[in-house]
Amino acid sequence: MDIFLQLTFSGIALGMIYAVIAFGYQLTFATSGTLNFGQGEALMLGALVGLSLAGGVMGGPYINYWLMIPLVMLFGALQGVVVERIGVRPSIKTKNEFGWIMSTIALAIIFKNVAENIWGKDDLTFPSPVSSTPFQIFGANVQIMQVIVVLGALAMMLAVELFNRKSIYGKAVVATANDSDAAGLMGINTGQVVTFSYALSSATAAFAGVLVAPLTLTGATMGTALGLKAFAVAIIGGLTSGVGAIVGGLILGIAETLTGYYISTGYKEVPGLLLLLLVLAIKPSGLFGKTTIKKV
Amino acid sequence: MLSINNLYAGYGKVEVLHGISLDVPKGKVVTLIGSNGAGKTTTMRAICGMIKPQSGAVSLNGKNVAGMDSHRIARAGLAHSPEGRRVFSTMSVRDNLTLGAFPRFTGARPKGNIKADLERALELFPRLKERQDQLAGTLSGGEQQMLAMARALMMNPDVILLDEPSMGLAPILVEEVFRIIQRLKADGITMLLVEQFAAAALNVADYGYVMENGRISVHGAPEKLKNDPAVNEAYLGGANKH
Repeated sequence: MDIFLQLTFSGIALGMIYAVIAFGYQLTFATSGTLNFGQGEALMLGALVGLSLAGGVMGGPYINYWLMIPLVMLFGALQGVVVERIGVRPSIKTKNEFGWIMSTIALAIIFKNVAENIWGKDDLTFPSPVSSTPFQIFGANVQIMQVIVVLGALAMMLAVELFNRKSIYGKAVVATANDSDAAGLMGINTGQVVTFSYALSSATAAFAGVLVAPLTLTGATMGTALGLKAFAVAIIGGLTSGVGAIVGGLILGIAETLTGYYISTGYKEVPGLLLLLLVLAIKPSGLFGKTTIKKV
Repeated sequence: MLSINNLYAGYGKVEVLHGISLDVPKGKVVTLIGSNGAGKTTTMRAICGMIKPQSGAVSLNGKNVAGMDSHRIARAGLAHSPEGRRVFSTMSVRDNLTLGAFPRFTGARPKGNIKADLERALELFPRLKERQDQLAGTLSGGEQQMLAMARALMMNPDVILLDEPSMGLAPILVEEVFRIIQRLKADGITMLLVEQFAAAALNVADYGYVMENGRISVHGAPEKLKNDPAVNEAYLGGANKH
């Protein structure tokens, strides 16, 4: 029972990372109908830049972990702007439905290569900002960092949600997601909104990167699998639902840790992906996805 | 105020407008009537920047805005209540109205008193006031139409384009919509009104243009158009109603 609980807690922490990345996919999908398939690489770059600032790999540490987070998010935002300008905007401009898929994948591979050349191919250890001695909840070991992951992920999503609901700029983002042409008629620069959503999406991924890095290993290849599985989460939960991202993330995270222990680590990814196939067959808009009803 | 000169526009390679010229003087209501497919909505879209004109000028307050992005034209003072309403369906009625004032929040247009204007818009459309916290997507077609009009007003624009405000509405709501247009006219608001209900549109307008196959066929004062046999036959059902 203790083991089961402990696996569940690990699954929750992992699942919240998936949820944050999936949330990032949703941000750009809402405003532009496009996704950054390099979301995992945005996470990886965030983690490595964070490690360079707060760890010893580049002669540091220069600043502590907590002060590093806003800098890493700023870096992520700029990286997102680059992806949007180079990879996505040309496709949107020429109304090319599939161009952005290949160009975001191409950029992802380039980012990975660049990272391998700067930080090497070996995995690095990210120093934990908090004590790694676990504490006990109902007899199960929990690391403080796992709790920080869960709270940080929730805080990030909540902050974006509040921004969208309360500020006029957030409302402009939601309006663009609703009807881009009509938003333009309101004087909203929808091109800028799309760029902003890419910046926010990559900043979110970079944030997820520095959250997850102390729990795993950090390296150029860390993002690919995470990005892909978070994409599965976004499909399972629905590309339009923040709650869906959380529920989908938790399902996949917990399914993975439980399968890894009780069945075989070789199979740990199978249940989540089976669920993905099932959702696609039965409810393609995702568990929480809405099919919008438009009145004519 | 708004002046269109020799405007050519279309979709892809298909030219729909073959040289449209019209004038909307300050404080006046001008209507553009014509049958389905004549190019009325295309004219509206070319004016507001939803499509880019191939050539010609769209002058707003003396500034040529033809070819600019729609958000820039909006900020220059043009509001558009588009065909099909295009309300933000997952947002509340209040948020929709707030967004109508977006350029005023960002300083792109004079701020004025946004709160007071929002209350005034809700007074003008009592049905919206009752439903101000409801999501726009749950409103009836008529209510969405009123929301689209109220949202356009929230910009405090120099000119409002109203594209088929009566489309798909029950007769009683059509009357209400025209009553509101009449009231906006009394407030001195400059409007370009596209309508299929030609008779009602000519009743409220100061000047009318008739469109046929992407060209202006006749234009003149409403009385003149109503008495024009061809216009009367084609758009007013042969009988001089009202």
